[in-house]
Amino acid sequence: MRSPVEGAPQAQSTTPASAPSAGGRPLAPDQAARWFIYSAVLWFLVAGLVGLLLAAFLYTPNVQSFIPEPWRGPLNFGRLRPMHVNVLLFGWLSMLYAAAFLYLTPRLTGTTLFSEALARWTCILWNALITGVVVSLPLGFTQGREYAELVWPLDLLQTALFLMLALNVWGTVLRRREPRLYVSVWNFMAASLIIALVYAFGNKIWDVSGAYVGMNDAIVNYFYVHNLFNVWFTTGGLGIALYLIPRLSGNPLFSHRLAIWGFASVWAGQHHLLYAPGPDWLEFVSIAFSILAAIPNTAFGVNFVMTMRGAWHRVTHDVPLAWVATGASMYLLTCAQGVAQSFRDFSLLVHFTNWVIGHSHLVFVGAYSAYGFALVYHLLGRIDGARFDPRLQWWHYGLTMGGLWVFLLTLWSAGLIQGQNWATGAIPFLATVRSLQPYHLVRLLAGLIMAVGQLLFAYQVWRAFRGRASAETA
Amino acid sequence: MRTTIPGQPALAYLLGGSLLFLVTGIIVTTGLPGWLAPPPSPGARQYTPEEALGRRVYIREGCGYCHTQQVRAPEAEHGYTMRPGDIGPESQPGDYAYQAPVLWGTERQGPDLTFTARRHPDREWHLAHLRDPQAIAFGSIMPAFAHLPDAALEALATYLLTLQ
Repeated sequence: MRSPVEGAPQAQSTTPASAPSAGGRPLAPDQAARWFIYSAVLWFLVAGLVGLLLAAFLYTPNVQSFIPEPWRGPLNFGRLRPMHVNVLLFGWLSMLYAAAFLYLTPRLTGTTLFSEALARWTCILWNALITGVVVSLPLGFTQGREYAELVWPLDLLQTALFLMLALNVWGTVLRRREPRLYVSVWNFMAASLIIALVYAFGNKIWDVSGAYVGMNDAIVNYFYVHNLFNVWFTTGGLGIALYLIPRLSGNPLFSHRLAIWGFASVWAGQHHLLYAPGPDWLEFVSIAFSILAAIPNTAFGVNFVMTMRGAWHRVTHDVPLAWVATGASMYLLTCAQGVAQSFRDFSLLVHFTNWVIGHSHLVFVGAYSAYGFALVYHLLGRIDGARFDPRLQWWHYGLTMGGLWVFLLTLWSAGLIQGQNWATGAIPFLATVRSLQPYHLVRLLAGLIMAVGQLLFAYQVWRAFRGRASAETA
Repeated sequence: MRTTIPGQPALAYLLGGSLLFLVTGIIVTTGLPGWLAPPPSPGARQYTPEEALGRRVYIREGCGYCHTQQVRAPEAEHGYTMRPGDIGPESQPGDYAYQAPVLWGTERQGPDLTFTARRHPDREWHLAHLRDPQAIAFGSIMPAFAHLPDAALEALATYLLTLQ
């Protein structure tokens, strides 16, 4: 069952030769990928701290009294929540994905990057975009559609950036020397191109308001949200995982054919809006496809477990591998939870509650950020020759995952309490709010634990950055 | 540029098929509901400039991250906000016919607001509650909006009174 292409991550070439720039002057390779990583970690810290403030707001709105009067508008819950979400999704995770696509695509296709200059401009403009997000959302510039809040100029910029990234990925693939494409490359090609289309359509970038009219606005909004997750974060993340799992475990991928099956996709987002004032038939189509998603998810699960066979002991002394294995496991848990949530009965119970916030942190922290941590360690080791202290790496791992599990179990418990209280029709809404205060406190403490872990992570990345900088000046 | 991939024709078909699938999916799940959309409900509201301004404040301040504006069928006339069943009747697609964007929301840290004006028809109640929620609703976790200019609060209250 093992064909040569399955070993592709092992068979990667060494650092490719310098890519010619537009003016013929060679640009050092992989610098754009490197910039993307350091930028992503910076935005990660910003948005993570905002998350902590949001958790404090939910515990007690009295945190406002610690904020100076002129800042109470920008630093209010309703303006910071979309900032937290957008910066983590489009700053931290998406910029890491860009780094991975730019670094891995040339390796997997045996050539150099299509254009290092284009990649560097992509990184510079991407940072401009996230700066715009960090400034515009607290100032109240929003289109008011969840995950699609960014105002029109930023929407245009984000679409252009996805296309610039896609151009580099596809351009690299078209001049490849390796005739057979490893599955990750397919994922990178699909993710970078289709997300540009989905983003443009979902954000209605030809209209300054960015909103469709009536019921259809919600339908398109959640079509977009679902495919932002599915086409971009899942497809891209699977590509990264299917590279890192064989690469770090030292085993060839169990089955390339099975991995290709994982390429299948769910498009309908209506299972995020069950019992909503939309058409019933659309909910049923969406539920059917959510159940069908069990097929590619199982395919990935089998591939993950079988590829790791004989290498499980290595997760105890290889932190990046531990992160990838954690991410893949949390991803599978997310998929199981996702299918459950797409049934109407269960959705009726947990929708609108803190359960869903737990679900989104399960996937974005537990799965995709876990891949992200592995990527940062792995790529900085390759590009900057960084060496990380395993003790700090393990503290970061332990604080992140320990804090995350406390956070998740608290939110899921709180969500079930909310759902069950509401379903009785006999408990005033505010009574449930009051009963959740201890849960909000534990959630805040769990967030603090995770934040300490991320400071350790950022410290390590800072040391890698400094180490490289001093090596350059020496 | 090669149009086929030697040794892997199945992958090219798979990619083409997936794209076809995606386009079909987009048309069926986003185009079709739009064409089949029901007419506006009798109660669907076309906003006055002042109401529209208040709605902009609602969007700008992110009220929709904690408050929904949709009542699901199983909870209609059953959900308990201030009194049993006062969440209101089931929301219909036509109710939103003139809204862009719609403010359905996905989270209820606070109660559903589809019919908040039925529970609180008093303008002064809304203004006082926006300025100091805890003084009106003991144990509420809603942040205060006293820092907003009076004009914004007045417009917001005007908008909230349309939710009935």
